Amino acid sequence: MSNEKYYVPHGTYWPIIGSIGISTLFIGFANQMHDVSWGWPVMVLGFAIIAFMMFGWLGTVVTESVSGLYNSQVDKSFRWGMSWFIFSEVMFFAAFFGALFYARVLSVPWLGGADNNMFTPELWEGFKATWPLISTPGDVGQNGVTFATNFKLVDTWGLPAVNTGLLLTSGVTLTYAHHALRAGHRSALMAWMLATIALGVIFLGFQITEYGHAYHDGLKLTSGIYGSTFYLLTGFHGFHVTIGVIMLTVILYRIQKGHFNLENHFAFEGVAWYWHFVDVVWLGLFIFVYWI
Amino acid sequence: MNLFVIAALVLIFLFLGSAVIGLLRGGKDGSDRMFKALRMRIVLSVLLFAFLLLAGALGWIEPNGMFLPTQ
Repeated sequence: MSNEKYYVPHGTYWPIIGSIGISTLFIGFANQMHDVSWGWPVMVLGFAIIAFMMFGWLGTVVTESVSGLYNSQVDKSFRWGMSWFIFSEVMFFAAFFGALFYARVLSVPWLGGADNNMFTPELWEGFKATWPLISTPGDVGQNGVTFATNFKLVDTWGLPAVNTGLLLTSGVTLTYAHHALRAGHRSALMAWMLATIALGVIFLGFQITEYGHAYHDGLKLTSGIYGSTFYLLTGFHGFHVTIGVIMLTVILYRIQKGHFNLENHFAFEGVAWYWHFVDVVWLGLFIFVYWI
Repeated sequence: MNLFVIAALVLIFLFLGSAVIGLLRGGKDGSDRMFKALRMRIVLSVLLFAFLLLAGALGWIEPNGMFLPTQ
């Protein structure tokens, strides 16, 4: 490690490439929302530029790290950076769980006339506060939409429970990988990491299958407040699992390259915490969406 | 019963929080703290999942399931 107080990196072109990627992505996204024919390809190009930037920039950081340019001060910066990222992730999911709580416990009963005089049943004629609410009051009366209370129950013991079991098992295999890393058992570490990645991929496959069933049966993002909160919570969680699988794969590659040792494996620790967090968020989803 | 499940989930989050403190501190002590906290969180999570399945099977909790509109 360097004895300097702080490592000052050289000038780099990655930030401007990232800016170009984000601009391209949003120009494409905005135009595809307006049904412009070149919207989609430009959006995909934006994604590709951002992926290229992340691969290049993070690759540079890894190269600098393994060549011994980083001292303890830089290590502390990485740890603080990861901690703030963790804080932002906790707040992100707290907002979505808060939305589910607000809709289910407060706003829907209020619209049904509960607790106060501001929102009354007369606001939406014939409205009864029920959960799940799978129609939007403003759409009632149009195209045969009703305040739907007729729904069927999909068994909690099916795919949701299997997926919870899969993700929790991946938490166990990751813990064994973590133990193997700390004990210096490299082959065991790689085997447990592979198992964790495989379980994450299987989870995503089942989640896509579940979405297919739900969408086919008519539960859409527009299916009232229940459809919106269901897809937002599970969709963003699925996105986080996808990111987690990518990060675990990068860590497996770095393990294979011999980048970590018993004392120095911050990248592994950061990704391990992230995976445990994603695991706990799913447990929360399983409890609040499917059980309580 | 619902309160018990929520309390268990809060405890699991506290262990995750303890792991973040270990991650932030770094060094051998921080690394040990993080590993032990994450290990506790997975043990508690598996126990909570098993309890949910048992409570559902014995009828202590009635699961919501997932609601789909009928066509």
